Amino acid sequence: MAQESTADKNVPVIELRHVDKHYGDLHVLRDVSLSVARGEVLVVIGPSGSGKSTMCRTINRLETIDSGEILIEGEPLPQEGRELARMRSELGMVFQQFNLFAHKTILENVTLGPREVLGQSKEEAEKYAMELLERVGVASQAHKVPAQLSGGQQQRAAIARSLAMRPKAMMFDEPTSALDPEMINEVLDVMVELARGGMTMVVVTHEMNFARRVADRVVFMADGQIVEEGTPDEFFDHPKTQRARDFLDSIKGH
Amino acid sequence: MGLAELLGTYGQNYLDGLLATWSMSAVSFVFVMVLAVLVTVARVSPVAPLRGLGELYVQVFRNIPGVALLILVAYALPQLRVVLPWRTCVIVTVVLLGSAFGSENFMSGINTIGVGQIEAARSIGLTFTQILRHIVIPQALRTTVLPMTNLLIAVMLSTALGSQVPMTPQELTGVVSYVNTRATGGILAFLISALGYALTAIAISFLGNRLDKRVRVLR
Repeated sequence: MAQESTADKNVPVIELRHVDKHYGDLHVLRDVSLSVARGEVLVVIGPSGSGKSTMCRTINRLETIDSGEILIEGEPLPQEGRELARMRSELGMVFQQFNLFAHKTILENVTLGPREVLGQSKEEAEKYAMELLERVGVASQAHKVPAQLSGGQQQRAAIARSLAMRPKAMMFDEPTSALDPEMINEVLDVMVELARGGMTMVVVTHEMNFARRVADRVVFMADGQIVEEGTPDEFFDHPKTQRARDFLDSIKGH
Repeated sequence: MGLAELLGTYGQNYLDGLLATWSMSAVSFVFVMVLAVLVTVARVSPVAPLRGLGELYVQVFRNIPGVALLILVAYALPQLRVVLPWRTCVIVTVVLLGSAFGSENFMSGINTIGVGQIEAARSIGLTFTQILRHIVIPQALRTTVLPMTNLLIAVMLSTALGSQVPMTPQELTGVVSYVNTRATGGILAFLISALGYALTAIAISFLGNRLDKRVRVLR
């Protein structure tokens, strides 16, 4: 399997097979199977506590799983150590709380991974970092520390930090949920650009307009299960299950 | 004996004592910081026995009186054919005590670093040691400048344990014993040394405050 993985376009970039996970008595992921093709934008929605964030976090093993399999380009996700670190470096992750390194400047945040993990020189890493910061619109903030930036700027910088690793896929775990309303769009715009550029993306979000506009496929989760999946039009206009209809009704007011 | 006479006769002893206190404090504090980092790394490591060892270290050396520990280092170790110079005995004692407290300071500094930053560091593929080196230790150091300033003062005061062994040159407290065995300096002999400690402590906290303002991590 391993040798054909990187070249073969038909192998999913991310694949979950029958994944189960418990937190004590709570069954947070129930037999979740899912695959994400190269260049696909998958949007995961569902009520809070549905397991969608947990599912997203299992993909680079920030959460362990009890049973099942997770494959990245056909290779099983390593359990620990250097192999796991290497695999993580190939998957970008953007968090709800941005999680920039508080003691480092924005530029240092973006160059740390490329220098330490990819072994790039300072010049090389900084050149690409500045390009990325330019792209997400925070180049002028490069020499400030995170606390001096707005939430929207921090999140865009965090996206640049992930992109600097030239990842195979990007995961977004509720990237706009901690933002003031006026900053949500500046982050979503960056994500739309990425999607148009062909990035493989898994996006956990409550932004239904984003899902409608950008998603290739929408996955609806509830109670740790994938209840329904389909194209945005199918899902939003003709939901098949009562759970999905109830959920969509409950957010219509917004 | 009046102040002028005390200083006239023993001024040089006090000066040597102050320098001995300063140099022992400096040497001790360097080792305190190094050991505190190492012990703390053990306490947060993924290896359970190492964590246990780190905890044990802190519990033992945080809870043992300085004099008792000095007696062990100075008079019990020679039974195991480890004979250290007096000055080294005092420094070892101070370092063992100080590093246990230093590690506690570090742990509280580490606890201020959100788990989110660690997850972000893992996500870009940094290994455990790289995360310690680039994220955890620098932030823990920068957020604990003030408690570490207090620790440096405590370390300096602990070097007074040197008065319990026949060191040469003596440190500030040892000088007082020396003076009071040959003259009737009384309380005044103590006050001169106390002034040395107090002025040093004030200088340390002034510098600590300045350093803290420079390096504090904005949140």
